[in-house]
Amino acid sequence: MEFLNLVVIFVTAYLVLRKPHKERLAFGLLVFSVLFMVFLFSVATRTGLLPGVNY
Amino acid sequence: MRRELLYSTLALAVLALAVIPIGIAVFVLGFVYGDSPCVMCWEQRIGMALVALVGLFVLRYGPKPKYIGLAVLIAIWGVFMGIRHTGMHAARDVGQGFSVEILGAHTYTWALLIYWVSVAMMGLLLLMTRKEDIEDRPRPLGLLGGLAGTVFLVVIAGNVVQAFASTGPPPFMGQSDPVRFSFSPKHWVWSLDEWSPAPISLRGRWAIDKPSLAALPAGPGGPIAEAPVLPVARELRLGFPLSGIPTDLAYDPATSQFLVTTEHGVYLADETLAKLNRHTIVDAGFAVDLGRFAGAAFLDKGAVLAVGENKSFVVLEPGDKADADANFRFFLESFDTFNEGPRSRFGTVRARMMYVMSAAYDSESKSIYTVTVPNNKVKRLIISRFDRNDMTLSEEFAPALAKDAGLTLAGKRTLNDYYVTGATIAAGRMYAISAAFNTLLTIDLQTRSVTAARAIPGLARPVGIAAKGDELYILGESGKVWVVGQ
Repeated sequence: MEFLNLVVIFVTAYLVLRKPHKERLAFGLLVFSVLFMVFLFSVATRTGLLPGVNY
Repeated sequence: MRRELLYSTLALAVLALAVIPIGIAVFVLGFVYGDSPCVMCWEQRIGMALVALVGLFVLRYGPKPKYIGLAVLIAIWGVFMGIRHTGMHAARDVGQGFSVEILGAHTYTWALLIYWVSVAMMGLLLLMTRKEDIEDRPRPLGLLGGLAGTVFLVVIAGNVVQAFASTGPPPFMGQSDPVRFSFSPKHWVWSLDEWSPAPISLRGRWAIDKPSLAALPAGPGGPIAEAPVLPVARELRLGFPLSGIPTDLAYDPATSQFLVTTEHGVYLADETLAKLNRHTIVDAGFAVDLGRFAGAAFLDKGAVLAVGENKSFVVLEPGDKADADANFRFFLESFDTFNEGPRSRFGTVRARMMYVMSAAYDSESKSIYTVTVPNNKVKRLIISRFDRNDMTLSEEFAPALAKDAGLTLAGKRTLNDYYVTGATIAAGRMYAISAAFNTLLTIDLQTRSVTAARAIPGLARPVGIAAKGDELYILGESGKVWVVGQ
């Protein structure tokens, strides 16, 4: 899944650098990547969502 | 001039972020040294890439509020990821951690600093931004911006390669314990472990219930099969009022006094438990969180020890001329009857994730003992010994059945089913009363074994035990005291 997200990041950066007129698409992909990162981290830490320290 | 400085600074920041944490991580640590990120490291790294990517957006489209806002959100989430990841290893012994160190700190701890700097950097850039900087059309990147963008693409391409080898295509996902990176497909491990069903929790293994006697089985049926019965010789009641319910009992032959504790109360009574000699209520706030007192013991020279369920403790010294004004900060009542000694915490290893409901003092070895109670996460009977001199852990063990005691466990039961709420030491032996199954355990502290187990019919929620002469006094939550022979 990290592979997929990094591919999306690569495509987004390419759009910004080489096809700047596709700003809306690039920003949409950026938001997707951010949410995807949050989702994957949450999946990985779902058994203890808060930092694992003494409360 | 100011605008050029703004964009040049941002381009350098993107370049630094791409090269130092993300680029070095993939090309040096990954491809050269074989380091593979764990699943959390991957997301931390991706978060850094996303911050840098927003930087490219700003270089191209100007500092629009939605870009700056998103970058702040990503960096804040990154700080959270850093705390979450670092928290897993923060309490380990010095030098211990996960994967490799960089300049004396493990990689995931650096993420905290990097994200923190990112937030600070965005604040700085916002300070430098003017209304006229927000542009309607894409702007040329310039030499530095173009370089930052190209380097970013190369670094992300490297990460795409590493992610494909280490984590695989969807639905495969990063691993908690990744294998060493290799360019050879024969060594690739693609895993679906992170998708396995698992309970969702906020505090995870730290969500441990406080001790409670409410649902404990009080009758027969303990883990030790056919424990003999120890009859109650006589009963009595505490002859003085308490503020709250009692939580433990101790006896000091040197001063012929009993010690009774409540949630935060400390009471010294005469040897018949009829008359109160002195008491105080400890102010548990504004300093070490003492929790609810659950263990009590007399230490040397008449000092008394009160231990909270959380293994925090306070030592009090009875004094007829205690300075009431000086003691205002320590107590809520009876300011002139005790002086406060150290107030600190017992640290444990095996017992770390368990509360205690007992404390005992062995004057021979000058040691303090606590016994764990099982909880919703950890069910173990652990005895911890602390040195009186430095109040530091000296020994921990899980007692076993003594081989020559003739005791057997019923079926697949274990001693962990007991719920020790009181302990006292006499002649080198610990007497521990379990509120579960109302059973008195005798534990040889030298052989670390249970030498006897006796069921005591008639007890109701015992919370403390004290040895006086040849007898044991068992205190119940109701204030009733049952006296049995040793």
